Amino acid sequence: MLLIACPWCGERDETEYHYGGQAHVAHPADPHALSDAEWGAYLFVRDNPKGEFAERWMHAAGCRRWFNVVRHTVTHDISAVYPAGQPRPVPPSDEHSEVTA
Amino acid sequence: MTVDGFALAHLRRSPLGHLADRLAAAEATGPGGVRLREIPFLAQLNLRLDPAGPAAARAAEALGAPLPTLAGSVVATADLRVLWLGPDEWLVVGADGAAPTIEHALRRALGDEPGSVVDVSANRTTLELSGPSARSVLEQGCSLDLHPRAFGPGRCAQTTVAKVQLVLDQIDAEPSYRLLVRGSFAQYLADWLLDATGE
Amino acid sequence: MPDQLPEHPDWLWRTPDPKPSYDVVVVGAGGHGLATAYYLARNHGISNVAVLERGWLAGGNMARNTTIIRSNYLCEESAAIYEHALKLWEGLPEELEYDFLFSQRGVLNLAHTLQDVREGTRRVGANRLGGVDAEWLDPDEVRAFCPIVNTSPDVRYPVLGATLQPRAGIAKHDHVAWALARKADEHGVDLIQNCEVTGFVRDGGGRVVGVETTRGRIGAGRVALAAAGHTSTLTDLLGLRLPIQSHPLQALVSELLEPVHPTVVMSNHVHVYVSQAHKGELVMGAGIDSYNGYGQRGSFHQIEHQMAAALELFPIFARAHVLRTWGGIVDVTPDASPIIGLTPVENLYLNCGWGTGGFKATPASGWVYADTIAHGRPHQLAAPFALERFATGALIDEHGAAAVAH
Ligand SMILES: Cc1cc2nc3c(=O)[nH]c(=O)nc-3n(C[C@H](O)[C@H](O)[C@H](O)COP(=O)(O)OP(=O)(O)OC[C@H]3O[C@@H](n4cnc5c(N)ncnc54)[C@H](O)[C@@H]3O)c2cc1C
Ligand SMILES: [Zn+2]
Repeated sequence: MLLIACPWCGERDETEYHYGGQAHVAHPADPHALSDAEWGAYLFVRDNPKGEFAERWMHAAGCRRWFNVVRHTVTHDISAVYPAGQPRPVPPSDEHSEVTA
Repeated sequence: MTVDGFALAHLRRSPLGHLADRLAAAEATGPGGVRLREIPFLAQLNLRLDPAGPAAARAAEALGAPLPTLAGSVVATADLRVLWLGPDEWLVVGADGAAPTIEHALRRALGDEPGSVVDVSANRTTLELSGPSARSVLEQGCSLDLHPRAFGPGRCAQTTVAKVQLVLDQIDAEPSYRLLVRGSFAQYLADWLLDATGE
Repeated sequence: MPDQLPEHPDWLWRTPDPKPSYDVVVVGAGGHGLATAYYLARNHGISNVAVLERGWLAGGNMARNTTIIRSNYLCEESAAIYEHALKLWEGLPEELEYDFLFSQRGVLNLAHTLQDVREGTRRVGANRLGGVDAEWLDPDEVRAFCPIVNTSPDVRYPVLGATLQPRAGIAKHDHVAWALARKADEHGVDLIQNCEVTGFVRDGGGRVVGVETTRGRIGAGRVALAAAGHTSTLTDLLGLRLPIQSHPLQALVSELLEPVHPTVVMSNHVHVYVSQAHKGELVMGAGIDSYNGYGQRGSFHQIEHQMAAALELFPIFARAHVLRTWGGIVDVTPDASPIIGLTPVENLYLNCGWGTGGFKATPASGWVYADTIAHGRPHQLAAPFALERFATGALIDEHGAAAVAH
């Protein structure tokens, strides 16, 4: 059972949440401008990384707010929780790569 | 309750009315004591508005208390409990019959601002669980940390108890809890609590 | 203590070092990869083939599934490929000279709601028209066929009826893998374990001409992916994005019990599927976790939910114990149907997306995939399952249609 920290309610069991798949998938600005293949890719294709994944969760049995989580798909380590609509935070290791390099 | 002047209150059935005797009989006294009862027909108003907008202050004035902005907190007045449900959402709980008055006041407070005021009184009934053992009864089916260091009077939570989604509101330090639960799940939850109080 | 360990039983296949190159390199030694290699050799005379496996043979979903075999799918395209598989299963123990305990004990799909009844009777009709054996049972007939199912009317979700496919059943999954491996090996196929594919070698024209592995570079005339839940980690390396998501799926077994359960029971509504293996353990599948995961383990509440469902349907299991639980990584597509065929990358072939239900397809999957690879065009039964359907919209929507996942 995952323990996920809702940005509002704090840590709650996974069973209180609803999973929403990959985060940051924007609706195409002009769907009519897309080819069938591009539209199909928008509808059906999502990233499926083995590693860190920015994804959406909703606190269904709690405050019912959507938010984003960066979770590792092998270890389930959650490295970031941030509000929907905000960009994915830059991991600290990247920020400081110049210092540590 | 009246509709077009006809009194309808005698027609109302609370979801747990038929269990009143069993709930009362389950009472245990003493240091391990616990009591369980239904508080039917509480007024419940769902309020949504921008907490930073002008309607928030007007709503606070109408309610006689500020809207709680801390997640999971409750502000109580003499007549009302205002429960935080979300960053822009509250549940205002009052006495049986108070819903029209509260709704009217909140609608006026909201004015033309974006938001909503909905009478959801019929959505849920309320179970009150109290007594020195109330917390340990609840903990059998609730994964929240209800220890006084983490939870207490003035705190509320939307969570699950025995898999049932509900609003939990701690009333006092005895402790007493209110469990606001959907009518259709109330019987199951009551049965579960009756069973748990026997453990 | 004996001072000497007992002799190891005969090895069923060689353990060769990889050759510099092969006509076909199959990635993944699960059931589908092994069946593909076997049929490449048997049906097409292509035996200069390697199957590369990052772990051990059948260490993925192949030996983690609940072994249900049936072909009573709603959509014509699915029924056709799964029925082809079922016909192959019927001859396979003899052909592979291996008794892998294929048992056609029937599969019941229980109906608990009016919608279930509509779906079930419709599917029985569709199956019969398509030449797939199918019957509709009323609750009394369900009880007669499987006496331990709780068919009393006063349970939460009473059994209103069931579909029965008499020719459906189970098989011992690890033995199936070993049987295919031994025959493929006999045909000259190299089965290479502990050999992870980590990249692709491409020529100037973008064609795939080999793979990079943890055991060095291996040349390949054609590369055939059969990597189940890991497929998109490989295609990502080529910039080819696939409509699959990898999820944990769990199963569990009880201790060994006397024979009590004569068939296979699946209930989509209560969510349980149970059979009793030959040794005596009850084999049950749990639900899929909602989130993506590559950890080969799932969440505990899925197991709990699964046990509650099992007890509701089978009160007789009340005192059985859970002996073991485990998880696999299933590759799920938006329409819950597999993806088989060619790809935009020349020489690269794809067979994935079997999700929670590909064990039953193992022989047909290998059959049509081998044919597709050998001829460089889709086999007739594979054609509807091409990747292009996610652009054309010609989905094979088994999700809503058959309402059963395994
Ligand atoms: C719990 C559970 C229950 C199931 N129940 C049923 C059922 O009752 N009936 C049914 O029909 N289906 C069932 N399935 C689904 C079925 O098991 C799968 O659809 C099927 O096994 C997938 O094909 P496979 O055997 O080739 O996959 P796998 O056995 O997973 O084979 C893929 C192989 O590729 C290897 N691989 C991955 N990446 C690489 C790489 N980079 N290099 C080299 N090798 C690599 C993996 O290690 C793995 O061995 C179930 C699955 C699970 C997990
Ligand atoms: Zn929350």
